[in-house]
Amino acid sequence: MSRLYCPFCGARELEEFRFHKTLAEPGANAYEEVYERINRLAVSMEHWQHVHGCRAWLLVRRNPSDGSVLDVRLLARTAVLPHERA
Amino acid sequence: MRQLAPKYSAWSLLCARVAGNDYWRPLWTGATLRDAYDVVIVGAGGHGLATAYHLARDHGVKRIAILEKRLLGYGNVGRNTTIVRSNYLLPENHYFYEDSLRRWETLSRDLNYNVMYSPRGVIDLAHSDGDMAALARRGNAMRVAGIDAELLDVRGLARFAPELDPKLARRFPVVGALLQRRGGTVRHDAVAWGYARAATTLGVDIIEDCEVIGVRSAAGVATGVETSRGYVKAERIVFAVAGHSGAIGAMLGVQMPIETHLLQAMVTEPVKPLISSVFVYVYPHGEVYLTQSDRGGVVMGGNLDGFPSYTREGQWFRLEDVVQSAVALLPQLASLRILRHWAGTNDMSMDGSFIIDRIRYDNVFINGGWCYGGFKAIPASGAACAAFVATGTAPDLIRHHSLSRFRTGQLLDERGGGPFPVRQ
Repeated sequence: MSRLYCPFCGARELEEFRFHKTLAEPGANAYEEVYERINRLAVSMEHWQHVHGCRAWLLVRRNPSDGSVLDVRLLARTAVLPHERA
Repeated sequence: MRQLAPKYSAWSLLCARVAGNDYWRPLWTGATLRDAYDVVIVGAGGHGLATAYHLARDHGVKRIAILEKRLLGYGNVGRNTTIVRSNYLLPENHYFYEDSLRRWETLSRDLNYNVMYSPRGVIDLAHSDGDMAALARRGNAMRVAGIDAELLDVRGLARFAPELDPKLARRFPVVGALLQRRGGTVRHDAVAWGYARAATTLGVDIIEDCEVIGVRSAAGVATGVETSRGYVKAERIVFAVAGHSGAIGAMLGVQMPIETHLLQAMVTEPVKPLISSVFVYVYPHGEVYLTQSDRGGVVMGGNLDGFPSYTREGQWFRLEDVVQSAVALLPQLASLRILRHWAGTNDMSMDGSFIIDRIRYDNVFINGGWCYGGFKAIPASGAACAAFVATGTAPDLIRHHSLSRFRTGQLLDERGGGPFPVRQ
């Protein structure tokens, strides 16, 4: 893992990006959200930002055991707005 | 059972001189795995070996096994920058690390094995008045606790470390330093070997190539561990698995306040004595530490790679950061070549301090979350963890380092960086 694919800029050097945090499971309370990690070896959902590029916030699905990137999406597009909730 | 190495002394070295290489014996034996133990320790690294040694020596625990997935000393005890110091700000941390430093001072004698403790001094450099104020605050906190710390101005620093020419124009000029004279380095592999030899002598079974896959329990009490070599019954279980405490949490179904990050270090080709002590300094992109090994290689380390990973593949840009910072401080390093370079997995906790506590079961313990402070903590961690496991009560030195402190808000956040492991 030395490059990450930004939906706007394409594949860019990893040092252009900054890891922000690993996401908690859906339904986690505030304490779990901030202080606890599941530490899955195979799949990790993370927030990254393309800080030295377009500054977009990204939702990255990654395998921390072998360093492969499974999926990168724009964070903005993943939001479920209140009126869209079932 | 193979014959073990004898007690080392001037006499034994003389015997070795006469007898030749046949005199030397293995330092620890390849024990056979038994069905049941009083204490099973998972991980034959510094903390696991030291815990076993103290359980056997101080608490008379008879049946102890150390189960190691790969080889003894193959993890972080063999891949660190060998620095020992106790210059921490928070009392909970500086008393603990001071206990450790005192144990380092006598460890070679205690283990009858030369761990090459070298009190060459640890110097934290200041590049601005703000840095000086922060170092003075830390130094004062240490002195109040009775730990040696000296604030040096530029002239004092030049006297102590003449290689840091203060007149040299630098991108970030050096304006002073905090010195801890008793800090320094220890030969890291010798620590693993010395503890392994001492533990084996006390009857501890060290089982390599034996991976722990799970914990079996009955009525809310752990009864033993499932391993790649079958089931082993255990009265008490201790996990001392360095960068994989988070994975142990996942195995036990406990979410941990820990992330696993990679930390890189590198060594240059050996040169004549150049760096007299240990330099630690902070540039805008992060911390750097420099020292010279007894063999002559310049050992360099820096910040985390910046995201959770178990790969042990260091990022090129971090290596570049560290080397650039080293050359910025000591331009003569530019002509050296890097000989070895590696990345280790670090348990990074949410407040930057370690955790020794029960986990999930009353008789299962975790010794982890060491962040940058694992190697220097080994002797104190072994003694405190052993006391905890043997008596069931956490000794005062580690009373504050519980798992529950994150929930109760009693964090030990040395840098005041907040709950972001990557920034600790």
